[in-house]
Amino acid sequence: MSETAQAPLRTEDITVNVGPQHPSTHGVLRFVVTLEGETIRECVPHIGYLHSSLEKIAETLRFGQYITNTDRFDYLNGLGNELCYVQAVERLLGVEPPPRTQFIRTLMAELKRISSHLVYLGTYGNDTGAVTVFLHAFRERELLMNMFEAVTGGRLLYNYLRIGGLRNDLPTGFDEQVCSFLEHFPPRLEEMNDLLTKNRIFIARTRGVGLLTAEQALSYGVTGPTLRGCGVSYDMRKLRPYAAYDQVEFDVPTFPEGDCLARHLVRMEEMRQSLRIVRQLLDKMPDGEVQADVPRRLKPEPGEVYERVESPRGELGCYLVSDGSDKPYRMHWRGPSFYNLQALPEMVRGGLVADFIATLGSLDPVAPDIDR
Amino acid sequence: MWGYVRDIWQGAKSIVVGHIVTFRNFWRPKITDRYPHGNADENWQPGPGYRGGFALLKSDKEGRELRCTACMSCARACPVGCIHIEGEGKGKERHPVSFYIDMGLCVYCHQCVEACPSEALTMTDEYEISGTSRASLVRDLAQLIAAGEGQTEVSRVL
Ligand code: SF4
Ligand code: SF4
Repeated sequence: MSETAQAPLRTEDITVNVGPQHPSTHGVLRFVVTLEGETIRECVPHIGYLHSSLEKIAETLRFGQYITNTDRFDYLNGLGNELCYVQAVERLLGVEPPPRTQFIRTLMAELKRISSHLVYLGTYGNDTGAVTVFLHAFRERELLMNMFEAVTGGRLLYNYLRIGGLRNDLPTGFDEQVCSFLEHFPPRLEEMNDLLTKNRIFIARTRGVGLLTAEQALSYGVTGPTLRGCGVSYDMRKLRPYAAYDQVEFDVPTFPEGDCLARHLVRMEEMRQSLRIVRQLLDKMPDGEVQADVPRRLKPEPGEVYERVESPRGELGCYLVSDGSDKPYRMHWRGPSFYNLQALPEMVRGGLVADFIATLGSLDPVAPDIDR
Repeated sequence: MWGYVRDIWQGAKSIVVGHIVTFRNFWRPKITDRYPHGNADENWQPGPGYRGGFALLKSDKEGRELRCTACMSCARACPVGCIHIEGEGKGKERHPVSFYIDMGLCVYCHQCVEACPSEALTMTDEYEISGTSRASLVRDLAQLIAAGEGQTEVSRVL
């Protein structure tokens, strides 16, 4: 035998760019992936393409003016972001919003969670090769968008919450709109569940893929469905109830496997729980004013607050420092997508390149939320 | 062996279930809408409180064309500073002589309407607001008055 045949085959790692323009990167995101054959050796996320300086802009705007900007980073959770910011300012000012306001805010945040998870469901189907679900999920989401439009006047950028209240009360007939949605949606949700979650191919593509242990998740600061998919029951709505979450009953679903399927199942269950919350909120909705008395010029005492809410992606935090003027001295957003993305290299390392997009999609990242 | 058969059976089943769902959807009403319609009246109509274009409302007071008193509240409330006003006259006589809204900068937040003490400025449900140049996105006083023709209420959902 000749000598060359016995020597091992010469192999070489190759470096592949996934993104910044890629149909599955959920916005403008870039990953530099080092491959050994089909196995991923290393994955480095490169972020910042959608940086919009939202924290710096806050320092140039008055407290009330900034609300319009909060819709714009995690665009799938506009009303939830507004809730986080508005609560932070209210705590700084010591303002207590009326009970009806609290209920409406919670109602809108939960409807927004359903609509965000529907976008996840659709795009995740897309990522794993099931395009039909995308169309079904977006059709149902359209009903929610019509509701948001009826209440807030906008379909994506709402600017609906105000310091100490809301821009307006719910329009007449909104209750019936929500009730008909509550009747119409659960069978459709189960249908989408049949179509995707019970599909053999989908299960084969997600079970045991993108594994993350609870320790790893906690050490990276991962939150939301990604953490609950590792078996850790951590939900801001339960741990530190804000708005009207202490008045409703709901469960925090967890699945211990830590793979893409577990994260998917958490989100499916969360939609059912959100429907449950919405139903209770409608039943218990108190009457009354929607706006507390706040001075026209807002000048909080010097101080700082950190306020957190549970966004559909995890713990969304807003850190505000006031120096006593009518503008924030410093503001910082804890965007959940940013922290969740840090754990991605751990999840995909040693896995197949074909599973990379399935793992990325299961984090449900929103690119502007990563970059802010 | 049995596992293999079961796999095939379940795989086949999930394909059939998927097709049943897809088939059922053939008979559901469609929610997409044709745009633009040949007949403009059939185009989609936004709900009340929609935030599209702008309009200045007419006054019903004697000797006053517009409700606006050029008080600048809206210009100060605007987070991006895209409203430019010049006023003329003193006290009750005060009215705007030029009023520009640069809709290319506007973020459609509705704060100017809420800040107005005289309920003079409103957002309209006009949604065909794109233009072919930046200059065409700037609305001047005449355009704003024309847009408010016949309207008496400011935009607010209730
Ligand atoms: S809607 Fe907002 S951005 Fe537009 S002109 Fe009014 S205040 Fe300014
Ligand atoms: S539109 Fe209203 S707020 Fe703006 S200048 Fe006129 S009166 Fe003042």
